[in-house]
Amino acid sequence: MTEHFTRSKIALKQLYTPKDIKDLDYRKHLNAPGFYPYTRGRSADTGGVWIQRELSGEGEPLRSNEQLKYLIEKGQMGIDVIGDSPTMACLDPDHPFAANAIGTQGVSLCCLQDYKELYKDIPLEYITVSSSVPAPFAIAGLYLVAKENDISPHKLRGSVIQAPFYAEDCGYSMHMPFPLRLRLTTDSIEFCSKEMPKFHSFLEDTYFFSEAGLHVAEEMALGFIEIRHVVRNLLKRGLDIDNFASRIAILVNCGMDFFEEIAKIRATRRLFAKMMKEEFGAKDPRSMAVVITSHTSGLSLTAQQPFNNIVRGAIQTLALALAGVQAAEVSAFDEAYRTPSPESHLVGLKTQQVIHLESNVTKVADPLGGSYFMESLTDEVEKRIWNMVMEIEAMGNAVELSGKGWFKKFFGDTIERYAKQISNGDLLKVGVNVHQIPDKEDTLLKDVAEGKIEPCWERIEKIKDFKKGRDQKRIIDALRGIYEKAKVESENLMYPIIRATKAGATMGEIAGMMRMAYGSPYDPYGKIESAVGKGF
Amino acid sequence: MDKIRVLIVILGLDQHEVGAIAVSRMLRDAGMEVIYAGRFNLPPMIVQMAMEENVDVIGLSCHSWEYFYYVPELLELLKEKKLEIPVIIGGSVITPGDAEIITKKGVAAAFGPTSLNEDIIQTIKRITSGKTR
Repeated sequence: MTEHFTRSKIALKQLYTPKDIKDLDYRKHLNAPGFYPYTRGRSADTGGVWIQRELSGEGEPLRSNEQLKYLIEKGQMGIDVIGDSPTMACLDPDHPFAANAIGTQGVSLCCLQDYKELYKDIPLEYITVSSSVPAPFAIAGLYLVAKENDISPHKLRGSVIQAPFYAEDCGYSMHMPFPLRLRLTTDSIEFCSKEMPKFHSFLEDTYFFSEAGLHVAEEMALGFIEIRHVVRNLLKRGLDIDNFASRIAILVNCGMDFFEEIAKIRATRRLFAKMMKEEFGAKDPRSMAVVITSHTSGLSLTAQQPFNNIVRGAIQTLALALAGVQAAEVSAFDEAYRTPSPESHLVGLKTQQVIHLESNVTKVADPLGGSYFMESLTDEVEKRIWNMVMEIEAMGNAVELSGKGWFKKFFGDTIERYAKQISNGDLLKVGVNVHQIPDKEDTLLKDVAEGKIEPCWERIEKIKDFKKGRDQKRIIDALRGIYEKAKVESENLMYPIIRATKAGATMGEIAGMMRMAYGSPYDPYGKIESAVGKGF
Repeated sequence: MDKIRVLIVILGLDQHEVGAIAVSRMLRDAGMEVIYAGRFNLPPMIVQMAMEENVDVIGLSCHSWEYFYYVPELLELLKEKKLEIPVIIGGSVITPGDAEIITKKGVAAAFGPTSLNEDIIQTIKRITSGKTR
């Protein structure tokens, strides 16, 4: 008999029976949604509607603002913004490396005016604002725009990605040393716990690094490693676990192994609850019930037969609906070859609407709960995640592991493993290694691929002029303030970052001053000097 | 025969590294010497590395449209330095239309997301044949 496995190599039986869940204790392992250990869902509400949105942002802030309003008009329930590659790297548009990348893979953001334009006419007190932009700057921008519009930051909801561990190794490089990245994470979470208490200031993003071909247990284990480290740091600062734990959310990937992805989400909720209660001593139930959001897998998409990607997005979204997530985004069908087009954003949003409104799957909470197979798989995935967390922690301090390049090597190996699984046919991909069609017949939706977004070169002069027009003394004072505060570990950097942003300093300048305070060059590429001058 | 030496680089601020790592390991398994320069490179840095490392071919991994603007600059610099090192590009954003345009500009070969490993290997062998030391 042929053996079958999940993507993470869990052996599958042909049939599951009561024997497979003989040790299952309903109260202890499952319980009702909204009750510890939250396996079946974080809230008692059934008919759960998740926040439906699409990751967006392109060109200048005003262009992205139009894009956001368009998506809201089409039914998007929250906004989620991604920066272009200079923004993600904490470089201003006038940096010599930035020119050809301005606004092509996200929105270009570097100063307060940009955030004002990005959020123009968006009702920030009613809509959740999520962001993949480097967290301290995304928070500062949102906070200041809310204040200017007389909206209390206490009302703001949404999230920012915190990725201090893996960002530099796996695709979100901010060009900052590890201790600085970690400090910015803890500083911004601490700041939000006081100033923006409804905001999820700690979105653990397991999505981006799992796109390096990780399977479910690896994805969540690395996520837990990062969460645990940051939580321990916050506790060391003297924060109470119940002051910030409820503001932790996890952004997970959702790939094509349908049941395994659902089991992963259920296992993650249970593990998180147990960890918070038993290990970190949380008492507030909200600290134990983690919010889970997801992007459907970009890695699972193919450039061949791109229409199949719409089907993949729908299957993955259905898995998310059944798993009971709080928010979802469908990776655009054209993402395998370009920054998403407006058409593909719309398809992603409509996919969510059809599943939500037509399929009736959301009316019952955790509809797969109690299934012999689902419960057995949830247990197995949970075990594997936790074993890997323990193995990695037993190898030593995660910061040292990162310094030794352990994670970088790990990602290199998973990338290679995935590429080989595709090339040797171990992992089937319709259109790639099975049921291919000749290129000349593979034309449907291919025209969308030829569309491009031109860099916003005009931003370069605009930002240069903006910088010249500022009150230079005020800027220099603010930037010196950043440097001095960054030198003192006990200071929370969010306050000087907000002051400097308000004074007109840019993200590139502020990031540069912080790099210097941590012994790194102001400019990672050695091309530009700080506004404060050479002698500083 | 000496191993073919391939420089693998990612241009500009493109942060996507998965493709470059996968291709590097694939070429290594095919018996080539891969000099992996990773992310964040501009044309002058690439030319410098290509000279220092004495490579037979430069491979650009492209998952952003930045290559469209950097490739002509890179080819021009190579010409200036009188370096006859072929440049090949590969990546998710390269459509058939782009491949045609960019090969006309002087790139030795362009591989889109549907390319097969074997095609990449054979193309590198072909364009470097007789050139290895």
